Amino acid sequence: MSTQPLNASDVDVATRTDDVWVTLVWNDPVNLMSYVTHVFQSYFGWNRVEAERRMREVHELGKTVVSSGAREHMEVDVQAMHSYGLWATLRRSGE
Amino acid sequence: MRGFQESPAGGPSAAIAELDPEERAVIARVVADVGLLLGGEPFGMEIDVADVDDDPLFRHFRGFESALTDPDDPAVLRILPNAAPDDRDVADEFRRFTEPELRSLKVDRLRTIWKALNEDGPEWIIPAADAMSTAAALTDIRLVLASRLDMETDDDAAALYAEIDRAHDTVTGRYLADNAQNPERVWLGMLYQALTWLQESLMSYVMRDDVMRDDVMRDDV
Repeated sequence: MSTQPLNASDVDVATRTDDVWVTLVWNDPVNLMSYVTHVFQSYFGWNRVEAERRMREVHELGKTVVSSGAREHMEVDVQAMHSYGLWATLRRSGE
Repeated sequence: MRGFQESPAGGPSAAIAELDPEERAVIARVVADVGLLLGGEPFGMEIDVADVDDDPLFRHFRGFESALTDPDDPAVLRILPNAAPDDRDVADEFRRFTEPELRSLKVDRLRTIWKALNEDGPEWIIPAADAMSTAAALTDIRLVLASRLDMETDDDAAALYAEIDRAHDTVTGRYLADNAQNPERVWLGMLYQALTWLQESLMSYVMRDDVMRDDVMRDDV
């Protein structure tokens, strides 16, 4: 392993906000509250209380951010949400 | 119709609902329809299915042509939504890489349900391991029905429920054909409601142990 200190500009590239993406889940009239809660629990590993809080955010505010990170990771999360029939999208953080 | 309940203790856990032959036929029909909509084979043509299933390349190829851009059918767009409405390139790339796999997964789940509904007897038995994939397939079917019913918001859903209520006698609950302005829409709405009710009961089964776990957590706090 290299003991060379990380180049400051490398760190900047990795943490630039436009490289951070988010996954959003949007409200729809079809998905059941119990179902969305369980999908959040099983996929994101949240406990029941946290999963229900996020589910209510979707229901009452219209959407919630469920994850953030590299675009490739968000694509995996969006694909998982679509497999469950949840309406999920990804976008750059801060847009 | 009886909603899903946990199988009696003793054997492996399963969710069991009861449907009469007409209910089974109606649900199997809509399951097969959504399978076709997703580009799947007509269910019941087992020979073709086996050939296709054996060839992973073909499986992924099946949905390829349609995976280049958003589907034209709004119902299909509802189950395979645009992943980046503000960024055409991101949306198209996502669709190109994920849609064939998502289509196969969704068709596979529908086929499993279709087979279970074509078993003999009034019971619809779902092994514990298949409960969430069945709930996901029921969601896809309900999304398609919701699209056909122009149900896009919570208010649309409330209006549809009110329309269905008006077509039923308030006391006896009997269907009143003369009160239904659009009988086809009322019928489709009732099918949507029945599937919603079935999925709710299935979720009660899936989450049957959650409550206890939450109680334990709260006690810790």
